[in-house]
Amino acid sequence: MALLHIAEPGQSPLPHQTKRAVGIDLGTTNSLVATVRGGRAAIVPDEKGVMMLPSVVNYTDTQMPLVGAGALALAAQHPADTLMSVKRFMGRGSRDAIRDAQRSHYKLAEGEEGLVRFLTSSGERSPVEVSADILRVLHQRALATLGGEIDGAVITVPAYFDEPQRQATKDAATLVGLRVLRLMNEPTAAAVAYGLDAAEQGVIAVYDLGGGTFDISILRLHQGVFEVLATGGDTALGGDDLDAALADWVLQQCESPSLAPGQFRQLQAAARSAKERLSDEVAVDLDLTGVLPSGGAIRVTRETFESLIKPLVKRTLSACRRCLRDAELDAGIDNIVMVGGSTRVPLVREAVAEFFQRPPLVGIDPDQVVALGAAIQADILVGNRPEGDLLLLDVIPLSLGIETMGGLVEKIVPRNTTIPVSRAQEFTTYKDGQTALAIHIVQGEREMVSDCRSLAHFELRGIPPMVAGAARIKVTFQVDADGLLNVSACEEITGAQTSVTIKPSFGLTDDEITSMLQASFSHADEDKLARQLAEQRLSGWQLLEGLKSALEADGEALLSADDREAITAPMGQLQALLEGEDADAIRTLTERLGRQSETFASRRMDKSIREALAGMSLDALDDEVMQ
Amino acid sequence: MSLLELQKNYFQLFDLSVGFALDQAQLGERYRQLQKELHPDRYASGTAHEQRLAVQYSALINEAYATLRKALPRALYLLELAGMSKEDISGQQIDGSFLMSQIDLREKLVSLDEVVDPETALEQLITDISGDVNQLHDQFSRAYSAGELAAAASACVKLQYLEKLLLEAEQLESRLIDSQT
Repeated sequence: MALLHIAEPGQSPLPHQTKRAVGIDLGTTNSLVATVRGGRAAIVPDEKGVMMLPSVVNYTDTQMPLVGAGALALAAQHPADTLMSVKRFMGRGSRDAIRDAQRSHYKLAEGEEGLVRFLTSSGERSPVEVSADILRVLHQRALATLGGEIDGAVITVPAYFDEPQRQATKDAATLVGLRVLRLMNEPTAAAVAYGLDAAEQGVIAVYDLGGGTFDISILRLHQGVFEVLATGGDTALGGDDLDAALADWVLQQCESPSLAPGQFRQLQAAARSAKERLSDEVAVDLDLTGVLPSGGAIRVTRETFESLIKPLVKRTLSACRRCLRDAELDAGIDNIVMVGGSTRVPLVREAVAEFFQRPPLVGIDPDQVVALGAAIQADILVGNRPEGDLLLLDVIPLSLGIETMGGLVEKIVPRNTTIPVSRAQEFTTYKDGQTALAIHIVQGEREMVSDCRSLAHFELRGIPPMVAGAARIKVTFQVDADGLLNVSACEEITGAQTSVTIKPSFGLTDDEITSMLQASFSHADEDKLARQLAEQRLSGWQLLEGLKSALEADGEALLSADDREAITAPMGQLQALLEGEDADAIRTLTERLGRQSETFASRRMDKSIREALAGMSLDALDDEVMQ
Repeated sequence: MSLLELQKNYFQLFDLSVGFALDQAQLGERYRQLQKELHPDRYASGTAHEQRLAVQYSALINEAYATLRKALPRALYLLELAGMSKEDISGQQIDGSFLMSQIDLREKLVSLDEVVDPETALEQLITDISGDVNQLHDQFSRAYSAGELAAAASACVKLQYLEKLLLEAEQLESRLIDSQT
C-alpha cells in the first residue's frame, strides 16, 4: 500500500508530513521541473526565477559541463562541444543517428554495440550522460527549493518512445541518483494537468508537437481512471523540423552553398526566433548576422512560413487520423489539449481545430503543461494524496514481436495494449538433444524483422536434452508500467528454469551502467561513500516507514504474534543501524527485512483484492478457491 | 486466496456470468475498480516485492479485460473454458461456400485501386464484411448456448478470416486517406 508518511533520516516522522516529489519534463529543446505545493502544481524556477532550462550542454571546459542558457550561448562558438536536442539520440543506434548528427554538426565516435557517442573536447559523451547532466541541474534546483532529498520523480517521455529510448531515459536518472517513480507519457501528463477533476468524464485528444517528436494520444476519463485508448505519432518530426524547413528556405533564397557548423547554429537560432515571432506578426525580418559574411536580414511572411510547414502539419494530422481509428470511439472527442511550444503557431492551431472540429484548449502554457502534469502524478505516486484520487492506465506504443522463420515478425504484444501486460509464448526445440535456443525480440509495426527496431537477442540455456520438438519452453514477456520489458523462461515438462541471457541491441548493459555510475560518482563533488550511505539510508527508511504503516493497518489482522515479531525485531535493528554510518550493514539488513516481509506484502495484496471484489460474489470466489 | 487462482475464469473476476452476451458497462466498471486497487501505481512507494506482485496482478486484469471486451477473443475463451484446445478450434471444417465468398471478397479488396471511386467501394466492402461479422456473432451465440461446440468453433474460425480481412480493408482505407492529404 502506498506509504503515507516518510521522515528524513535522523528525524522522527511527523503525522502529516508530505513527501518531496517532482515531475520532470526532459524535453528536446527545454527541460523543466515542477512540484505540487499547497495542493497546486507549479514549476520550480532557478535562483533567477527562470522556469525553462534549455536542454543544451557544453563540454568545452574539461572540468565542468555547462548546462542551459550558458551552454546555448556557446553553441555558435563551439558547435561540436555544445550538444542540443540530444533527446533525439536517446537509445538509438549510431546508424539511425547519422542523419541527425550531420544536420546538427556533431562528431560521432564509433561506439561499441552501435551506440551513439559524441566526440567533444573533453572526451566522448553518450546521450544518456548528456541527459544526466541536464537532470542533475534540475535535481539540484529541486533540492535547493524543496529543502531536502527528493523522495521520487516522475520523468516524462514521448508516448511514441520505444523500449530502448525509455530505458535510456531511466538510465540517465539512475546516473544522477534520482528515484524514478514512473516514466510517464508526455501527452498523458498534459491531460492530467488539464483534467484532474476526477468527477469529470469524457474523451480527450492530446496533440503534442514537441521539439523533436510528435505525439497524439486519445484518452478517456471515467470514474477517476484515465485510460489511454490509443497513441501514435512520429519520433522524427517536431518543432525543430519547422525551424529547419525555414532555415532551408533561407539558404535557398541566399543561394548560400554550405555553412560552417557555427553559422548553421546561428541560422537555426534565427529561424526559431522568426517562427516564434510569426505567431503574433504577419511578417518578420530574419537576422542573418553570423550566417552570411554580408550579414543583413531576410523578410519572411507568415504566408511563406505556412506554405513551408504545411506538409509537416499534414503529416501530424495523418497520425491523428490513424490514432482516432485505433481508439475505436463510439462518440466524438470532447476536448483537445495542446502541448509543445510549436502549437502556438497559428496554422497548427487552425489545422487541429479544423480536424477535430472544435477549438483546442490552450489555458495552460504549452511549454509547462507536461511538467505540471508529471508533478501531479509524482505527488499521487509518492503517496501525498488520498488513495483513489486518480489512476492512469497507459498503453504500449509500438508492437513487440519475435523473429520467426524467414525474417518475419510474429507479434506478441500488439501496440495500444494496456500496460502492464504479460504474454507467454511457447517454443520448442528443432534438434534432438538441443539445450539452447536463440530468440530475437523486435519492436515495430512492420512485417519484416529488418524493418523493425531490434530490442534484444535472448539466449535460453539449460533446456533439458530431449528429442526434437518434445521440449516445451514457455517464454513470458512482461512489459511493466514504465513500458520496459522483462523476459523469463521455463521448460514446462520438466519445470526446469532456463536462464535468459539478454544482450541488448542498443542501450546500456547493466555492467555499463555500473561503471558509468562509478565514474559519475568519482567525478561528483560529494564523497562517493557519503553518497552511498545516503542512498542506503533512504531505502532503509523507505522500507521501515512502509512496514510501519503496513503493520499499523494490517499487522494484527494478517500476522500471528510470532510473525509480527519476526518483522518488528529486525525493524528495531535497522532503525538503530540507520543512526550509524555502516552503509553495507544497512543494505544487508534492508534486503533481509525486505525478503522477510514478502509474505506479509502478499497477504496485504490479497486483502486489497478482496476489498476490490467486495460486493461481488465473494463467497462464490472463496468457494472456488476452497475447492 | 490468490488472484492468480482466479485466472481459471475471467468472468468471475468481473462478477459476470459465463456466456457470450455480456454487460460491457459492468465489465468496464469492475475493471476500473480492480485496477484502482491493484495497479503498480498504487504501490509506487511500496516494497520491491509488492511492486512485482502488483505488476503481475495488474497485467492479469488487463489480460482478462482484453479477452472479454471484444467478441472474438471472448468467443475463443468460452470455447477454451469448454475444454477445446486451439488445435480443436483451428481444425474445424469450413464449408466451401464460405471459402469461395472469402476469395471473392479478397479479390475485390486487392483490385480496389482500379475502380473509379475506391473510397465508396471500400466503404461498401467494409459494411458488407461487418454485416457478416454480426451474423457470425449470432451464429456463435446460438451454437454455444445449445452446447454445439463444433458449430460454435466453426463460427469462430470464420470470424478469424473476416477480422483479418477487415483489418486489411481498414489499412487500405488509411492509405487511401493518407495519399489524399
